[in-house]
Amino acid sequence: MLSARGLTVRYPGAESPALADVDLDVLCGELVALTGPNGSGKTTLVRAILGLVKPAHGDALVDGRSARAWDRRELARAVGVVTQREEVLFPLRVREMVMMGRYAHLGALGAEREVDRVAVHDALARCDVADLADRRVDTLSGGEWQRVRVARALAQEPRALVLDEPTASLDVRHEMEIFELVRKLATSGLAALVVTHQLNLASRYAERVLLLDQGRVAALGPPLEVLTREIVSGTFRWPTTVALGHDGAPQVTPLRPGDHLAATFPTPGHGR
Amino acid sequence: MMRLAGLAAFALIALTIGVGAGSVALPPGEVWSGLARADAPASLIVRNLRLPRALLAFLVGGGLGVCGAALQALVRNPLADPYLLGLSGGAGLGAVLAIAARPGSGWPVPLAAFVGAMAAVVLVYRLSVVSGRRLDPRVLLLAGVVVGAFASAVMSAVIVLSDAPQLRNAFLWLLGGFTASSWQTLGLFVVYSVIPFAMLFALARSLDLLALGEETALHLGTDVERAKRLVYVAASLLTAASVATSGIIGFVGLVVPHAVRRLWSPLHVALLPASFLAGGGFLVLADTLARTVIRPLELPVGVVTALVGVPLFAVLLRRNLA
Amino acid sequence: MGGAITILRPVPIFPERAFVFSALRWITAAAFTVGLGGCAAEPARGPIVVVDDAGDTVRLARPASRVASLIPATTELLFAMGRGGNVVGRTRWCDWPAAAARVPDLGDGIVPNLEAIAAVRPDLVLLYHSAQNAAAADRLRSLGMPVVQVRSDLLADVPRIAGLLGRLLGASAAADSLARTFDAELAAASVRPPSDPPRIFILVWEQPPITVGRGSYLSEIIERAGGRNVYADLPASSGQISVESVVARDPDAVFTSSDTIPGFARRPEWQAVRAVRDRRFIHASGSEFSRPGPRSPAAIGRLADRIRGLPR
Repeated sequence: MLSARGLTVRYPGAESPALADVDLDVLCGELVALTGPNGSGKTTLVRAILGLVKPAHGDALVDGRSARAWDRRELARAVGVVTQREEVLFPLRVREMVMMGRYAHLGALGAEREVDRVAVHDALARCDVADLADRRVDTLSGGEWQRVRVARALAQEPRALVLDEPTASLDVRHEMEIFELVRKLATSGLAALVVTHQLNLASRYAERVLLLDQGRVAALGPPLEVLTREIVSGTFRWPTTVALGHDGAPQVTPLRPGDHLAATFPTPGHGR
Repeated sequence: MMRLAGLAAFALIALTIGVGAGSVALPPGEVWSGLARADAPASLIVRNLRLPRALLAFLVGGGLGVCGAALQALVRNPLADPYLLGLSGGAGLGAVLAIAARPGSGWPVPLAAFVGAMAAVVLVYRLSVVSGRRLDPRVLLLAGVVVGAFASAVMSAVIVLSDAPQLRNAFLWLLGGFTASSWQTLGLFVVYSVIPFAMLFALARSLDLLALGEETALHLGTDVERAKRLVYVAASLLTAASVATSGIIGFVGLVVPHAVRRLWSPLHVALLPASFLAGGGFLVLADTLARTVIRPLELPVGVVTALVGVPLFAVLLRRNLA
Repeated sequence: MGGAITILRPVPIFPERAFVFSALRWITAAAFTVGLGGCAAEPARGPIVVVDDAGDTVRLARPASRVASLIPATTELLFAMGRGGNVVGRTRWCDWPAAAARVPDLGDGIVPNLEAIAAVRPDLVLLYHSAQNAAAADRLRSLGMPVVQVRSDLLADVPRIAGLLGRLLGASAAADSLARTFDAELAAASVRPPSDPPRIFILVWEQPPITVGRGSYLSEIIERAGGRNVYADLPASSGQISVESVVARDPDAVFTSSDTIPGFARRPEWQAVRAVRDRRFIHASGSEFSRPGPRSPAAIGRLADRIRGLPR
């Protein structure tokens, strides 16, 4: 559903490319976690996949077509996006906010139809915010607000979901809620691409993890293959140790300088 | 729906007051006969002067309310008002140049004010076009302030260098007023403002999305650049027409959308018509006050809207913080 | 000695001598203050003390001979008194008599150009008394130039200011003669108000419409010319009105300072006024209609002719 083929993106005036030769496929029904050090190109990759930047080489595809060839309204009916930050100036009610997701279907002058109300209702229910429908968005907690935004993306009735660090500044419970929600949505058939710094959550929820390093693919594959001590320590340039969690998913623990487990500091650039 | 009906009733009452009260005290019976019969003694005042004036004030107030709401969404700033894009400075400069060039006759002034306002808008647009032709709202704001300040400075220079007494009187025109209202000016404004009004009402959904932020709007399917351009053009034209008709009237475009948002909803499908009705009613009442408070003399309408608008705004703010 | 020296700030060259001089000046000044006010005596030399319209007391060591007249009214009066030769500076608005054109133009009379004034080295500066000129008056005084501020708004100011100028220039005889002539001409030109004077609407500015109340010169001369200002009930000198109010007062004619049909007469909203519809205008352009001065009686006469000439 979402693909990158040999994607290379160069920003004007930059010495090295922001993305170099990235290949990626996110299929319907799977959750792919996108991670990497700050500045490694995660946001650029997301923007390219959404057709917001022009690749220097290669291409980004949505549902087989070049992302840049899509009409914005059409694209909104295919891909739902939840960005990192959103500031609401003029507070709406939750129901109205989620209804904004239907605008891609309504256009400028169409009136709300039954099908739109049903879509909003379903989206609210799936994201478990139905009971908040009449609340004003500025009265919501961080977690509730995030779920409302996901509901809005769902109301678009997309075939793919892109979330950029959806759990930043959320507490444990809200974090888990978001990941559970996205996992459920992916399982139900959506293609989900989640940018996250939460390696340990990525490992438990994602089918595959894409690890970027300086614009290049450092590793791509199931969490067990990607989240190894060598790969993680090498890419993030910090000593870590990886152990298997209770559910078999690799759990990364960054080491402190004095920890006796830090046998050797792995050589940088040690990757696949 | 009920609320919109309530607002419509308010607008109607305001219009009634605008026709019933004025510089000359007329008892209601006379006002009515003046409206009903062409040969009644009061008919000249009521039909030829008060009715077009009240309607014009209503339309201009409605236009300012709608433009204020639209611009607040466009630049994502609750302090935006219709004149923010350098319009007031440009209009003032145009008016002053017209008066300085041809003292005595009033005709070129509204036209010059309109041309000046549009020139300022174009200049602000040019200034704000950053790489990729994006109308960046923050740059729009800054450019509007800068162009407005520049125009004001040039205006001051022109005043100092020319006929001071006459230009002092010219400021009274700029302060806003509906003294030159007639059926013809009303007709001109209607013909002029229909398209910008229609454009803005049609852009209601896009304004909702723009208000969420450009990135969010983009991902929700808006052609952001096109929407911004259309809002910019429509709001500028409508505001320039208002300034040319009746000078610079502050506070209506700033306060009315906020009041309506708080009492209603920020969704532009409701906000725009409500701002139209509320802004129109407010300005008719303000103009009526301007005409009656020190009769037979008149106050400039801009003074009344400021005097009334500021405490109103304070009340609103209090309510919001409570 | 070195131009105008006011005793407000004596300049001691030799302290003892200055003290004696000052004492003498104060004594004589005191004596004159008592004797001043309507006094017809003409001291050809010696100190002159006046209280101007700003309430300031101004003293001159000797009659002024180089006058910067920054008010059109005083320029007219000085020339009319035969003292045009003493005028060393005027404003750009001083357009009468023709001889005034030869006097250096110093610019505006409100917030005047101080350098231009200083450059003509006056021993007396005449300024229009207004809040805006307060700072200029102080500044000029601190530069050593005596400043007399006057208000020349109404007909009654003409003989009064003439008298003041007479004292200041040591030309009291000419001034008094001028005042007497003015009063006589004024009485002759003034029309005895008929029982039903034509009601006149005076429009001084079109957009927005501004009229004048009874506290203005224009209103005065219209009334003396046999007309009646429809806004005579307003004490203010000017104010913004609405067309509606003019319609209600239904004037017989409209006074305009343009020589042709004024622009506003073609505007649709003004057609509601009968006098505008019927094109009944009193045209009077010329600066004698905008400020009181020696030409006022003649102005009243011309107005009276036009008012009489109105078809009833």
